[in-house]
Amino acid sequence: MQKTIFFLSLVFGSILCKAQYNNLWIPDTLSGTNFNLNLVDTFAQLRPGNQTITAGVNNKFWGPTLIFNQGDTVHMNVQNNLNDSTTVHWHGMHLPAVMDGGPHQIIPPGTIWQPYWKVTNNAATYWYHPHLHNMTMEHLTKGLGGFIIVRDPIESTLALPRTYGVDDFPIVLTSRGYDAMNQFTITNNINISEYGDYMLTNGTPNAQVSLPKQYVRLRILNAEIERGYNLGFSDNRTFYIITNDGGLLNAPVAVTRVKLMVGERIEILVDLSTNNVGDTLNLKAFNSALPFGFPGAEPQQSGLNGSLLNNHDFTVLHINIAATTATPVTTMPATLASNTYWTAANATVNRTITVTPGSGIGLAEFAFDNTPFSLNTINKTVNINTIEEWTIVNSNIFSHAFHIHDVQFKIVARNGNASGVGNYESGWKDDVYLPKGESVSFVTKFEDYSDSIHPFMYHCHFSNHEDGGMMGQFVVVAGNTTGIEEATQTPKDFSVYPNPANNKLYISFDDPNMQAYYIKINNAVGRTIYMLPQPQLRNGIDISNFSSGIYYLQLTDEKTKSTITKTFIKE
Amino acid sequence: MKNKTLKSFLLLAATFALSIVFFTLQSFRSENKSVLDNTISDFSLKNVDEKTISLSDYKNAKGFIIVFTCNHCPFAKLYSQRFNDLNTKYSSLGVPLLAINSMDTAMYEDESFINMKNKSTTEIFNFPYLCDNMQTVGKNFGVDHTPHAYVIWKENNKWKIKYSGAIDDNGEEPKKATPYVANAVTELLENKQVSMPVTVSVGCKIFFRK
Repeated sequence: MQKTIFFLSLVFGSILCKAQYNNLWIPDTLSGTNFNLNLVDTFAQLRPGNQTITAGVNNKFWGPTLIFNQGDTVHMNVQNNLNDSTTVHWHGMHLPAVMDGGPHQIIPPGTIWQPYWKVTNNAATYWYHPHLHNMTMEHLTKGLGGFIIVRDPIESTLALPRTYGVDDFPIVLTSRGYDAMNQFTITNNINISEYGDYMLTNGTPNAQVSLPKQYVRLRILNAEIERGYNLGFSDNRTFYIITNDGGLLNAPVAVTRVKLMVGERIEILVDLSTNNVGDTLNLKAFNSALPFGFPGAEPQQSGLNGSLLNNHDFTVLHINIAATTATPVTTMPATLASNTYWTAANATVNRTITVTPGSGIGLAEFAFDNTPFSLNTINKTVNINTIEEWTIVNSNIFSHAFHIHDVQFKIVARNGNASGVGNYESGWKDDVYLPKGESVSFVTKFEDYSDSIHPFMYHCHFSNHEDGGMMGQFVVVAGNTTGIEEATQTPKDFSVYPNPANNKLYISFDDPNMQAYYIKINNAVGRTIYMLPQPQLRNGIDISNFSSGIYYLQLTDEKTKSTITKTFIKE
Repeated sequence: MKNKTLKSFLLLAATFALSIVFFTLQSFRSENKSVLDNTISDFSLKNVDEKTISLSDYKNAKGFIIVFTCNHCPFAKLYSQRFNDLNTKYSSLGVPLLAINSMDTAMYEDESFINMKNKSTTEIFNFPYLCDNMQTVGKNFGVDHTPHAYVIWKENNKWKIKYSGAIDDNGEEPKKATPYVANAVTELLENKQVSMPVTVSVGCKIFFRK
């Protein structure tokens, strides 16, 4: 009998030791100033048996990592080859609202959207993801999204690991549930749990990675639907947070655990030099025994709000320690940046936003200020260059992650106390954990980009809450400079040439001061081919790929926002 | 000033609202026809060879394998060879395969008739590939994904759905798959009940114009 038990424990022990890990997929990088992103319907082998229907950007699940240099103007060529409309939002980027990829920037199937902007963000880790209202959860679930890494001169001079895939790794955390046919269970259905049962780290189930025996940088993103991660290492070692969402901290912050809420990013340094080659270590979510309200702390393992990962500690990445690289980073800088933050005293406008119940119908569990999101309602109007303090009050029944577009902010208080703000969250942020029964105050400045038409969003980043209407929108307006004269002006005319055209189409404005706010080109059957926000027209519009036929160019004028349509023929 | 700004905003907002309505309409889906409510009326659709095909053209057919597929769907693309194999095996036994594309050709250029012709030629389809550009046949079947298969059988001169679902249960590894459609046709040819009349198909959503 004893022998049998010994044998069985040996068998099970060896099964446990040799858990089937899969090598962590590291997304390819794209760099330069022109980026081609192709959104596709596809499928992936995520489990034994049938493939899972997914969507990806140039890929099967998730997309390439975009490397931006601060100061560059980046041009995005986003082609929607899904058979569904979607949007692509550049999370954390400071840019014009019309380029932001929020719920108003709908890209129909087959259409190319070409936003561009000057990168002014600090070096840090950002991301892009779909943001079509009511469909964000479904599109995010399918795997649409990707990392953005911004580099800048301050970060570049620091002795930090920055060789992508060697000592600097993007780690995107999410989980999924599967049905009997191996298909993702998460849909816009209130009766199906928003929590996944199985980890997908960089889209890899049971991921493992070899990390060199030295300081390693992990850029970690929580791209979940709703789950939060209380991250730490299996041996409880100290690691160092070096960035928040929007830039370097002033100095590394030592922690053994950090909570990472949906949409948030941190870059950490972990010292593996004390390990031996061949050692193993796990990056884990210590999600057991957390108070109710932390998303994923619920006790139930199945059914509504249920998940096999709920209220559990679980591995998110299995690490095998490998040999030191040729040029390892062996020390950590004591200081990183000298950020100048706005303080509460700088704010000239104070706003309070309160989490309230939604209508209770479908996904509409929560709202802000009893006003569920409406595409046609502007909830806040902000004057450009104003420093504002926003306090988000959550005396409601559950925790949230508050995200605002356009800006990076500085958290100045939790529950009204400046001392309540953790060192680990002391840097630039665009997304913040808003625990149940608490409030968060932040200060931010709305600079550079005003647009009285196109709004920016603020919302809970749990995409089920966002789809359910826990979202508002604000416009940044240019004070008194846009006024009666401009609005009452008659729109000037323009012409397109040559017509018929072959490769390039040019626009000639009757008034040389006239600018295009938006151009759409539709074909004869009404299908949109191009969406060009604030197009730069000096070099013409490339139509060389169009098939011959009649096209309609709709131009919305910058000043009057009126739209005039011209017809042209592609030879 | 405010009124003017408001006006132009409302105009844009209305455009946005309209596009939202439009795209919501896109996601209209009809109920998948169950095996109980299962009579399919004959249809006439244009094949890639420009000839129109109806079920009634096949005087000796005992049944049909009707597969809804399309040009662009990567998961549907995996099945081209299996469609040829099914047609080779069962058309001689009186159960030919007809492929139908019910995707919204107005919305999705990849699904155009010319691209269907190209696909049929390139992938050497040995079966008709029919263009349901009005989406009426797709709606009548209640299909919502590609690839999705129906096996219909002639009973009292009516066409009855005997199987609805996936071709099999593994897109990329046909050798590991349970061949649902082949099993259903084999059972019907042996005058047996289909033991698994409904399965879940996966793939690309078909959006119906209203």
